[in-house]
Amino acid sequence: MGALSKSAVAEATRAATRSRAAFELKGVVASLTVMRLRTTDLNLIERQLRAKLTQMPHFFEDAPVVLDLGELEGRLHDFPLPALVHVLRSMRVVPMGATGFDEAHRELVRAAGLGRVQTGAPRSREETRPEPTPAAERPAPEHQAAPERQAPRERAAPPERPAPVRTPTPAVTRPDPHRPPVVLRQAVRGGQEIYARRTDLIVLAPVNPGAQIFADGHIHIYSTLRGRAMAGAQGMTEARIFVQKLEADLVAIAGAYLSADDIPVDRRGKSCQVFLENGECRISAL
Amino acid sequence: MSKASKVVVVTSGKGGVGKTTTSANIAAGIALAGHKTVAIDFDVGLRNLDLVLGIERRVVYAFVNVIKGEAKLHQALIRDKRIDTLHVLAASQTRDKEALEPEGVGRVIAELREMGFEYIVCDSPAGIEKGAQMAMYFADEAIVVANPEVSSVRDADRVIGLLAAKTGRAEAGNSIKTHLLLTRYSPSQVKKGDMLSVEDVLELLGIPLLGVIPESKIVLLSSNRGTPAILDEANEVAQAYFDVVYRFLGEEREHRFIQEEKRGLLQRLFG
Repeated sequence: MGALSKSAVAEATRAATRSRAAFELKGVVASLTVMRLRTTDLNLIERQLRAKLTQMPHFFEDAPVVLDLGELEGRLHDFPLPALVHVLRSMRVVPMGATGFDEAHRELVRAAGLGRVQTGAPRSREETRPEPTPAAERPAPEHQAAPERQAPRERAAPPERPAPVRTPTPAVTRPDPHRPPVVLRQAVRGGQEIYARRTDLIVLAPVNPGAQIFADGHIHIYSTLRGRAMAGAQGMTEARIFVQKLEADLVAIAGAYLSADDIPVDRRGKSCQVFLENGECRISAL
Repeated sequence: MSKASKVVVVTSGKGGVGKTTTSANIAAGIALAGHKTVAIDFDVGLRNLDLVLGIERRVVYAFVNVIKGEAKLHQALIRDKRIDTLHVLAASQTRDKEALEPEGVGRVIAELREMGFEYIVCDSPAGIEKGAQMAMYFADEAIVVANPEVSSVRDADRVIGLLAAKTGRAEAGNSIKTHLLLTRYSPSQVKKGDMLSVEDVLELLGIPLLGVIPESKIVLLSSNRGTPAILDEANEVAQAYFDVVYRFLGEEREHRFIQEEKRGLLQRLFG
């Protein structure tokens, strides 16, 4: 790879300063998926990825992904990183960078064709978060919560100065006041899951047995709840569920739940409010 | 000038509720009404449609043979000897549902449309896996078959959700017109409280009722004989299916077989 001559560089710089610049560089905030590797077993990783692809065929399509190598630590030299990159590309996932590695492994990462990305710590509740709804199975709500990518916000580094990114790691995720609530107008059928991330959920049709609805905020059901409803899904204990006709399989607020058997007989079939009192789930009349 | 063709899937989730009986009788009824109709058995490996229609001894090539290019469609299609507008594409006994590929199934359906079939009835297998998914993927309309019984209704609910999400139409942002067919209905058992009523089922499923087929021994007898019940016009199953066929084709018909026949003693003596 020959270096450009001084005059060529000068010419290119002059051209760049004129208005006919061939490109421009910008720092942007982008939403990316981080894949935190937890094993060096490439076969296992591949099998689980393929299973996920079968469940959610459109989840990954051409998605840029950052590989978090933090947990692999001392085992990174034994890990076939280029092979993993190849596998991911074959599934139309685009590994574009890696994070969580030190200077000693920089060459290894570079050889796999990955850029170096600086991120904040991953969110602590990543594993306990309910599975995002497979895009193919989710009926179209009127106001869709943003696509289900589990990623901290990232700032793409302008080439001159990589800028470290601060990602807050809240223990409790509260609704975002700028996000409109998710509104469902059609029945939620058995086997379907709807998750209103960082907002409230409003349902104007029945939630059938075998269906599950979650919200980080409140849940309002202006119809019959026969399936499961879980409000305050990421820890907001003040969340409530308001339901016109309670015949639920299960209700929960911030993890504290009441199953169908626990629901007081005099509240079944009635308009109710579900909330937490002293850490326990309670049901009162609406 | 070709008439528009319509692909209809008959599905349920739960097994044994009457999908194949319904596919056979509805396809026969639509064909009797003068429309060029084909019924396709998607239950690869556990084929039943050809038995119920009595054409099993004439099957040489089946659906999977056509998909795999081992036979041409016209070689596999079997024309019913009693109703000349009715054709059948049987399923193989020796393969299984893994042999159904989306592109292959799509090609066959496209070819059937080109051949001028006005109605393409897809008899789905039970379950929600590949065979059932393939049967519903290309559908323009769906008939969800359920018995008035809780597990059947739950499965039907799941299937209705899948129809709204995992079909070609749904993926393109359109909807599939979905109808409910309640089979094995017994008004006397509903009255006793042993069986869900039409209203109970509609409250849970919330889709339009296409019809009610009464519980009857006739279904078993017909299937053993290989003659769809609808060919014997007098019996109540035939009549129920005729109602269904005409409603499906757009006519208004009052729902029968929902109320118990009122046969009080006095009526029988003096009526």
